[in-house]
Amino acid sequence: MKILTVAEMAIREMVRRRAVLALLLALPLAFYLVRRGDQVGQSIRFLLIGLAWAVSTAALFASGTSRPIEPRLRLSGYASHHLYLGRLAAMWLLGLVVAAPFFALVAIDHGDQVRLGAVALAMLFAVTVAAPFGLLIGAIVPRELEGTLLLLVVVGVQMMIDPADALTKVTPFWSSREIGTYAVDHTGDEYLVRGLVHGLIFTILATAVVALLSTLRLRVRMRAATSA
Amino acid sequence: MDNDRWLWTLGQEMARHQLAPDAVRHVVAEAAAHLRDSGQPALRAFGTPEGYAAAVAESLAARYGRPARPAPGRVRLSARGITKRYRRRTILRSVDLTVRAGEVAAVVGANGAGKSTFLRICAGLLAPDSGEVTLDGRLGYCPQDAGTYDFLLPDEQFVLIGAGRGLDRERSKQIGRAGAASLQWRPAAGVQTRHLSGGTRQKLNLVMASMGEPDVLLLDEPYQGFDRGTYLDFWQHVWRWRDEGRAVVVVTHLLSQLDQVDQVLDLTPASEGAAA
Repeated sequence: MKILTVAEMAIREMVRRRAVLALLLALPLAFYLVRRGDQVGQSIRFLLIGLAWAVSTAALFASGTSRPIEPRLRLSGYASHHLYLGRLAAMWLLGLVVAAPFFALVAIDHGDQVRLGAVALAMLFAVTVAAPFGLLIGAIVPRELEGTLLLLVVVGVQMMIDPADALTKVTPFWSSREIGTYAVDHTGDEYLVRGLVHGLIFTILATAVVALLSTLRLRVRMRAATSA
Repeated sequence: MDNDRWLWTLGQEMARHQLAPDAVRHVVAEAAAHLRDSGQPALRAFGTPEGYAAAVAESLAARYGRPARPAPGRVRLSARGITKRYRRRTILRSVDLTVRAGEVAAVVGANGAGKSTFLRICAGLLAPDSGEVTLDGRLGYCPQDAGTYDFLLPDEQFVLIGAGRGLDRERSKQIGRAGAASLQWRPAAGVQTRHLSGGTRQKLNLVMASMGEPDVLLLDEPYQGFDRGTYLDFWQHVWRWRDEGRAVVVVTHLLSQLDQVDQVLDLTPASEGAAA
């Protein structure tokens, strides 16, 4: 119940920022269109990165907006896990809503050339990973400007790194890239499997670190009296 | 201002001064009779209703003293030997505060004396370098600022806090709206918090802190931006909470109400921070 209330309010807070919503949609769209004339694979891979970037940025800002209010909520009966799980659920839902029209776009634009189910899965994993990753950056770097720049560095590296480089596997959105390759290049199942495994592990790790940092930050530093 | 309006305002102001309803009725009836007999406008006869109410309250307090209150109850908040340093500067040095159920403590001090820091330590949000805080009961905390979401409606803020307190949505809204009304504020439908004035936002902040019947209320200058009437209403709330058996700690820099609190903790560095 408490997690749902936090999630509901986080969504309400976000959807009332209409300009933010427009930009959330504009970012993946721009990434998709800029390579659309090039080749199908690249445009969809860029779309996935744009989607992940948009969702992680939204999560980063949601984290920053809530940071000054969370202590009060903590003292008003919420445990720290209610707060970060509620916010995470909200960002996942928001991400799926943002992803849905892009899936429709790909289906209409290139539905006959790609594995549509795998495209949906790649989008799902882009959103799944991006939400806790944005919260993680927000938890590590409390100031929004620094957080945004850090996110920019990570996404920049993700976009420019040579796919053959071993370092690519530690980038956060490698999972959706692998699943995306499976979807657009019709590769073998190994791309799909390692994408899924990477995405799950990264999501669990990012969520665990967010949980740890939130619990530490929001711990109540006092002794409760033993009632007579 | 016509005489009826003046008399109504007088009644409100006297209630804010915690005068008994019988006394309020009596004074208003006497003033009304005088106005009727003299045919004078109220403002010319008595001055402003606020000023007249204050004079009456002072006169009655001088004649009868303050009404007896129940004795304070168990210790709800105990802060012992609180010391806090930022870098090399000691903000708080071995500060003690004990507040019992049914008591109001005011924390005063110059800017930078560590009032908000002390309150955050009392709330458990900040660890002292040494010393210990012990809390008995449920805590309500009103931060100085940044305690609300900009894009949520007041009702949604009530629901958010209420859910933490274990209240359902309707009950949360009901309690929140009642609290708002008691501070002379009726939240307009569809107006987000970011569009509220500073004073109204502080009312929201205060209502949120008092939801869920906390045993201990920690209020960090919660009246910033309040107009005079609301400021008096705020203190009336504080005294009502005290009479209900809550322990209340108010950080304040306004000294006018300090004679009506049970203890004053002065954090001004020159003093020893002794409780009055």
